[in-house]
Amino acid sequence: MRPEWAKFKPVNIKELPKEDWIAPGHRGCQGCGTVLPIKLALKVLGPNTIAVSSTGCMEIITSPFPFTSWRIPWIHVAFENAATVASGIEAALKALKRKGKISKKENINVVVFAGDGATYDIGLQFLSGALERGHRLIYFCLDNEAYMNTGVQRSGGTPIFAHTTTSPAGKVIHGKVGWKKNLDGIVIAHSIPYFATANPIFFADFMNKVKKASLVDGPSFFHVYSTCPTGWGAKSEDTVKLCKLATETRIFPLFEVIDGRYYILNRKIDKPKPVEEYLKIQRRFRHLKPEEIELFQNRINEEYERIVKLCEVFAPPKGE
Amino acid sequence: MKDKRILVKGVEAIAFGALEGGCNCYFGYPITPQNEIPELMSVELPKRGGVFLQAESETSAINMVLGASAVGARVMTSSSSPGISLMSEGFSYLIALELPCVIVNVMRGGPGLGGIEASQGDYFQAVKAPGHGDGKFLVFAPYSCDEAYELTAKAFELADKYRNPVMILSDAILGQMKEPLTLKPLKIKRIKKDDWILNGAKDRPARVIKSLFLDSAELAERNRKLKKKYQMMEKEIRYEKIFEGNEDIIVVSFGSMARLCKEAVLNLREKGYPVGFFRPITLYPFPRFTLFKLAEASQRKKRFMVFELNCGQMVEDVASSICGRGDTYSVFYPPSILPFPEDIEKEIKKCLKYSNSPKV
Repeated sequence: MRPEWAKFKPVNIKELPKEDWIAPGHRGCQGCGTVLPIKLALKVLGPNTIAVSSTGCMEIITSPFPFTSWRIPWIHVAFENAATVASGIEAALKALKRKGKISKKENINVVVFAGDGATYDIGLQFLSGALERGHRLIYFCLDNEAYMNTGVQRSGGTPIFAHTTTSPAGKVIHGKVGWKKNLDGIVIAHSIPYFATANPIFFADFMNKVKKASLVDGPSFFHVYSTCPTGWGAKSEDTVKLCKLATETRIFPLFEVIDGRYYILNRKIDKPKPVEEYLKIQRRFRHLKPEEIELFQNRINEEYERIVKLCEVFAPPKGE
Repeated sequence: MKDKRILVKGVEAIAFGALEGGCNCYFGYPITPQNEIPELMSVELPKRGGVFLQAESETSAINMVLGASAVGARVMTSSSSPGISLMSEGFSYLIALELPCVIVNVMRGGPGLGGIEASQGDYFQAVKAPGHGDGKFLVFAPYSCDEAYELTAKAFELADKYRNPVMILSDAILGQMKEPLTLKPLKIKRIKKDDWILNGAKDRPARVIKSLFLDSAELAERNRKLKKKYQMMEKEIRYEKIFEGNEDIIVVSFGSMARLCKEAVLNLREKGYPVGFFRPITLYPFPRFTLFKLAEASQRKKRFMVFELNCGQMVEDVASSICGRGDTYSVFYPPSILPFPEDIEKEIKKCLKYSNSPKV
């Protein structure tokens, strides 16, 4: 499919480095499901990586002055502009290489770790620009479905009916009004070389995807499922259970899109669990009535079937 | 009926004030330390038939405010320092288009993302130039929950009266500390806007709201008109003073810092030290003339000590107000390091020591 992947070998878990490039001892909540993907991604990318964080939980918990959890170069600017700052870094690296200030063989990865607020809402314009210009960067949207850092406010990524502090569930209005924004569709429409959804609990799948992205010459985008026990009102020991359920109930299907054209389904869920199992262990959904759960279920089924169909119709050409 | 007394945070007092002031639209975006305002508004406004909307960024929040104001709603937004910077384009347009609204800035430390500790570092931004161009806000700086409640409610009336944005300049301490608030009904006037708002143009010529004036004479005329409005705003000047005429030192401060200073000054006065206190409540227009009169009050040359939670901003306004009729001293605390009233007393005593006045 992509010429860069001609010599692609899957990640060998046994050969992964023992070092973590994000240090333990950060201030994440108990059961935080958002640090996990950063740790896994950096294991694949290695220390020759410049990370750009947008404002959010992952920035706050890893960098309370005078401490830092980052063992790789790291920069944080404002809330909205991580993609743009990364664009500047990547463009400058290119120029420095051209002028011989940095060795041309040096492979420096530029990655962005941004939350759903920074990606779905305030940073969408900047993300779109970076994707359209085609910078060689890997953008991780760590989607925990609300502004958790400021105290759980709704974002464009919050699912329908979810209770947040600015979409409170009352008698008349039942939590968030409207469906979760289809960010995947927006990003895929930019026809970027590589798009993937990822769930850190399927770590081999996730790390292989990161490796693929690091080889691609152009922008890659990851939509990463990230649990937030604090904001979702779930038990902290349920993080793994939630991650598994998200994919097994078809709420968060795993798929890749190459060049915005070829769809690959990574995990086919033939016998999905009912979404109720996923919803009932989170307090943000506790006010849901049976008919609302049914509405939710129908929407999830439709979305999943749409993606399966896309993967059938737009499968990559055989023999490649 | 007795007024209801409740224990609230400073930012909640602002939200209650807004509801009392007749706010019917709120647009905002999450940022610490003001999240309680959107939280309270998201619960209260729909009950009263109002609108709460969370925007996708501060830029879009302020432009929603602009839109709602153009059709005549009583509208507000709130944010904290970095968010306010992002809104500043909208501020300039609101001023240029003469659209009334209330903006709350719960200041935190800067520059950049800074921290979430209290700061008064946005004084210049609020008072001198909220956006590009020549525009000004009417700026209130409350120092307690009761005052925040009253001033926010009043802000809606004044915004409509002058057709200009009004800013409530609070900070993280005032915003996050809990204090009893008396929820008393206030007399907030409703001002008719039928003669300028955008609504249907049936049977009358359509109205236009714009800020582009390519004809230079027209633009100059526009700016003169705005300037005249700012001069009219001087009627709204408010301040608090503890002064009898023969004090040697006058402590000047606003907002949360004024609270600490007031305690220090009252303690010192009890012990007989010649110390006065002055607190501007409107930061723009600044109570220049009153300060000048204080400096002129007696033959003895006075010292104005300006205490601020920044690296010295209001001190410039104080110095220019007194026109050399006294000395100005800047005592500043950069964000996040708060003094105790005893520290302030020490500073004042140090200043007194070098004064020519007889010691007490």
